[in-house]
Amino acid sequence: MDVTPRYLGAGSFLSRRDPRVLLLVPVLYLVAVAGIADLRAVLLCAVAALLYYRAAGIPWRGVRANWAFMLTFTTILVVVNSILTSTDTRAGGNSEVLFTIPVTHSAITWTTLSYAAAVFTRYVTLAMVGFPVAFNIAPSDLGVAFARLGLSQRLAYGVDLTFRFLPSTWASLHETIDAQRIRGYEHSRSRNPVKRLIALKPVVVPVTVNALIDAEDTVNAMDLRGFGGRHRTWMRELAFDRADVLILAGFCAVAAAMVAARFLGLTGAVWVP
Amino acid sequence: MNADAATPRHSVWEISSRTVVFGAVGAALYAVLGLFSFLIPGTQSVVVRPAFALVPFFGKRFGVIAGFFVGFVGNAIIDLLQGSGLTYWNWSVANGLVGAFAGLIFAYLPPIRSEGVRLVVTAVGALVATALGLLFVITDIWVQGIDFSTFLTLNYGPALLSDGIAVVILTPALDALWEPLSKRTGR
Repeated sequence: MDVTPRYLGAGSFLSRRDPRVLLLVPVLYLVAVAGIADLRAVLLCAVAALLYYRAAGIPWRGVRANWAFMLTFTTILVVVNSILTSTDTRAGGNSEVLFTIPVTHSAITWTTLSYAAAVFTRYVTLAMVGFPVAFNIAPSDLGVAFARLGLSQRLAYGVDLTFRFLPSTWASLHETIDAQRIRGYEHSRSRNPVKRLIALKPVVVPVTVNALIDAEDTVNAMDLRGFGGRHRTWMRELAFDRADVLILAGFCAVAAAMVAARFLGLTGAVWVP
Repeated sequence: MNADAATPRHSVWEISSRTVVFGAVGAALYAVLGLFSFLIPGTQSVVVRPAFALVPFFGKRFGVIAGFFVGFVGNAIIDLLQGSGLTYWNWSVANGLVGAFAGLIFAYLPPIRSEGVRLVVTAVGALVATALGLLFVITDIWVQGIDFSTFLTLNYGPALLSDGIAVVILTPALDALWEPLSKRTGR
């Protein structure tokens, strides 16, 4: 199943927006939810994230593998760090101990569970505002979007090229795995990480070397076309429309409100129902 | 005159078409191959990501900027696809710094004729670059609100162990294969 970035949300409300909006919203949202321990505040932000994700119109079947990985990884992370161990927990205060984890002896209170739920919701909503960057920006718009955000023209073009190379690299990887299987390659089942790494050489090395050899042609083509000249222009002209400004203003307001609430000490404490 | 003397020398900070294309190819490779990782048995969260070996390799072969680009953009795309978004932006910077340090270390090392010695130096240089670059995740103390002990035992230590295994095994292997090809193209 292909999990690389694709233009899945074509035609949706978000894909019609200026691509800079889709790049700036995750930054503003991260500022808004960073360091919030109060579940109610995170849920308030989650409403904005959910509406934003719905506007992206990304078909479920196209991203279910990404969501499956994200939810599995996040669940393990939160359960291990915030419930089973005390790596990322908050003190229980006077909360009643509901039960104790047998091996780690961690006392589980309503505070523990509320904080774990806040962290889990924070991670899931960050994915909601992050996925449109991968699936709602037309590949040809990425370079100009980064350039107009102030990144060097050459590096902006590099980001553009990276996203264009992803599908061919993914295809090349699968071709190489199939070709090596015909030659008798089998994925290592060893529990020894060194043996498993060595067993991956027949896949990693040819994929990398083939990509590098093909890249020489791209370098020559770009040199022949005078890449790197002082006055680079882009085919696409970007301009914010009213909807873009409203979306950015909305997320700026959410970020400003949450930062203010954090400084006033309103969202730093864990909410216990 | 040996092959190394004939190789044109460029500034390590130069951003040419070569830097841009190889940086982009490397970031795409890192993003795709980086989706394959496996857990070290007996640990809770130490994951070996074989593709990490590409970061110091690109730093060594294509310079500081390309190395940083591969680590930073490649890791950011992996995070994007796995749903982490910008949560771990400092880890992307740390990945980029590994590539940049590799570029700096190998730019100032003299050419080595013996293949065996070159492979050992590549492995050691890549490991040093990894150790230095990953130190940036100390910012987790402010970003994630963890203490120094957690940074050392749960973040930096396991990451250095898992990425160190990958770079020591795979970076010299990639470099050994690219050496004759780079001489053939005169780069």
